[in-house]
Order: sequence, then structure tokens, then C-alpha cells
Amino acid sequence: MNRQMRFLHRTMGAVIAVFVLIFSLTGILLNHSSDLELDQEYLTWNWVLAHYGISNIEPDVVYFLDQHVISQFDSRVFIDAIPAINSHKPILGGVVIDDLMLLTTEDELLLFSHDGEFIEKMTESAGIPPLIQNIGLFHGEPVVQTRQGMWRSDFMLEEWEAISLEGIAWSEPQSLPSAVEDELADYFRGKGISVERVILDLHNGRLAGSFSVWIIDILGLMLTFISITGIWLWLKRR
Amino acid sequence: MVGKAILNRKILLTASKSLLGVILFLIAFSVSARGVYQSNQDFLLEVFNNAPPKSKVVWMKGELRQGIRDILGHPYAGLRIRYWQQDEKSAWILEEIGKTEAITFGVVIANNKVDSVKVLAFRESRGSEIRYPAFTQQFQGAGLEAQQLDRHIDGISGATLSVRAMTLIVEMALYLDKFINK
Repeated sequence: MNRQMRFLHRTMGAVIAVFVLIFSLTGILLNHSSDLELDQEYLTWNWVLAHYGISNIEPDVVYFLDQHVISQFDSRVFIDAIPAINSHKPILGGVVIDDLMLLTTEDELLLFSHDGEFIEKMTESAGIPPLIQNIGLFHGEPVVQTRQGMWRSDFMLEEWEAISLEGIAWSEPQSLPSAVEDELADYFRGKGISVERVILDLHNGRLAGSFSVWIIDILGLMLTFISITGIWLWLKRR
Repeated sequence: MVGKAILNRKILLTASKSLLGVILFLIAFSVSARGVYQSNQDFLLEVFNNAPPKSKVVWMKGELRQGIRDILGHPYAGLRIRYWQQDEKSAWILEEIGKTEAITFGVVIANNKVDSVKVLAFRESRGSEIRYPAFTQQFQGAGLEAQQLDRHIDGISGATLSVRAMTLIVEMALYLDKFINK
């Protein structure tokens, strides 16, 4: 019994010692983070980037408009690799008319200049038909398909007439070209993940993700166990 | 002894359930604070007695662009701003970031003074108290003096950034109204 207890006490002590060493060393490093300039050093290792969810980028949707690549990541809309605007609704399509690039969501048109500069969001209050499903072009004029039917306008976009047409060039989603994907990857990754951040997450256990809670629980139980067995062994020796 | 343990367990269970209930209520309350309170179209129908005029646009160029930049402390997103005007009244639907998300405001200016201001959509998790009439009525009748409101607006604790956003947007609407009525 005594021997088994001693064996368990020693084994658990060794396991805990590894974690105590990690916590101590990372703690000391974090204490001198500024002096060591750990916040100025960055890691770009793939597994680190993957761990922080920025190794691969996957846009929700991509459209090609007027030499530009439009992509949406959650609420962020990019023109090429430049953040252009926030849209809480998914982009459903886009067309180019005259000197405008038009993107549509369910209930608004987002207007951009050819240079990608944001002009305005037009909604139902500006005459845009609601419940849009897609946008297309018919002889250079914008047409939107809504749940209530098809509507056509001109370059002013203020008057919309109900129509029924065939032969409309509807906007279709595309794949992200690799050149833009690389630029966007650079944008999202930035310089990488700072060494300070990784050490901090190692120190507080967040690096282990959802397992961190269980690891801390197990360590807590082990510490409780070796405390009790330590006291017990000490009392026995006396 | 066993009876006492069962009683303790029951008390613990009831306490846990109550705590969970309070947490769920708080979550539900905070979620309900976000959202669209009034659509842009409904706002305009209300302001113009169900017959809103056709919209007009003002282009953000030169002096106007700089003036708005000075008021907000940053450029306003977009090259043009849409507004609705009838007689002495102009209505503006403008957005400004509270803390991290855009808040949509509807501002009505009449005779160079604030007629009303409303929060149309609120997307932040905190600070939605600014939508209450008890707060927004402070703006009623306010004018612009040297690109600032001519009166003090009492803040709301916990909603500092939302109050700031609303104050800036009201100043911007007054400035825009002044510009279109030049």
C-alpha cells in the first residue's frame, strides 16, 4: 500500500513538474516581454497559423466585376485584397453599369466607383425593390430578380419597372483567383502571430483549446492527490 | 444524515436552476436589445405622413467632406448621402460606429433645428438605451453652433460610445441640412 502510494505520488509529481516548469518559464518570459520584445517577434509557422484559424482563407462568395475581384468574409467585403465596406447581409450578385459597380444583397444595392471607392448603400427607401435574389444585365441595364418578380432600372437606379424578360446575363459566383487569395491571406495573417501571444496562450492554457479546461481540472486533481499523499507519507514517516 | 444531504442537494439544484434562469434572461435581454427597431422605409413613412418625397443626394466633396470629417473625427463612408426633403423638413438616415458595430440613426431636421432622432438599427451588445425617447428628446430643438450642438447632452452610464455616436450623427445631420439649404 505504502509503496504503491509512494509510486503514484512520485509519478504524479513528475507529471505536474513538467507543467509547473512550463508555467514558470512562460511566466518569467511574459514578465520580461517588453525587454525581450516578444510582442515584436512574429511566428508564421503553418501549424501556428492553422491553430489560430488563419492558415487558409475561405470567402463566403466571390464575384468578378470590371477587372476587380469582390469577395465577402462574414460581414467584410473586399475589393481585390482591400477592405471596402461592411455588409451584414450576404452579397447575392454584382454587375457593372456605366461608371458604377453594383453589388446586391437581399434588400440593398451597394454602389462603388470603378476605382472601388464606396459611394452609397441604396435601400427600399431609395426605390430599390425588396427581397432581391439576384442581379443581372439586359442590354447594359440592371435587372433584379426578386421574390415578387423581375424589375429593371437605368443607370440612375431610382425608378424600377416590373418586367418579364429572357436572355438576362445573371451574375454568377466565381472562385477566388490564387493571386488575390495570396494577397488576402497576407492581409488576414498580417505579420503572423506574435511570440508573446503564443507564450501567453501557452501560459494560460488556451493553446490547448477546449482541452485546456480538462487539463487544468486533471492537474488540479493531481495536485490535490499529491498534497494529500504527501501529508500522509510525511505523517507515516513520523 | 441522508435526509439532510438530500435537502442540501435540492437547495443546490434550485440555486443552480435560478442562476441559470437569471443568466438566460440576461442573455435574452441583451440579444433583444440588438436588431432593427424600424425599417428605413417605415421611418420615412412616419416622418412624412405616409407620403415621403423622392430622395435626393448630396455628394461628399470639398468643404462638405472636410466639415463632416471634422465633426466625426474620421471620413464618412461613402461618396454621397441620400436624404428626403419636404418644405422645411429634411430626413437623414446615417450610420456611425458605436464601439465596433454600425448604429443606424434616423434624424429629422426642421428649420435648422433637430425635430427628432431615432435609432433605427442597433447592432452592439451594449448601449441600446440611447433609443429610449427619455434620452432622444434631449436633442429636440437642438441647433448647431461652430459645428457642435448648442446644448449639453446628458450621457448614459455604460452607453458612452453609443451616446457619442448619436451626438456626432445629430451634429452631422444639422451640418448637412445647413449645407443643402445654403
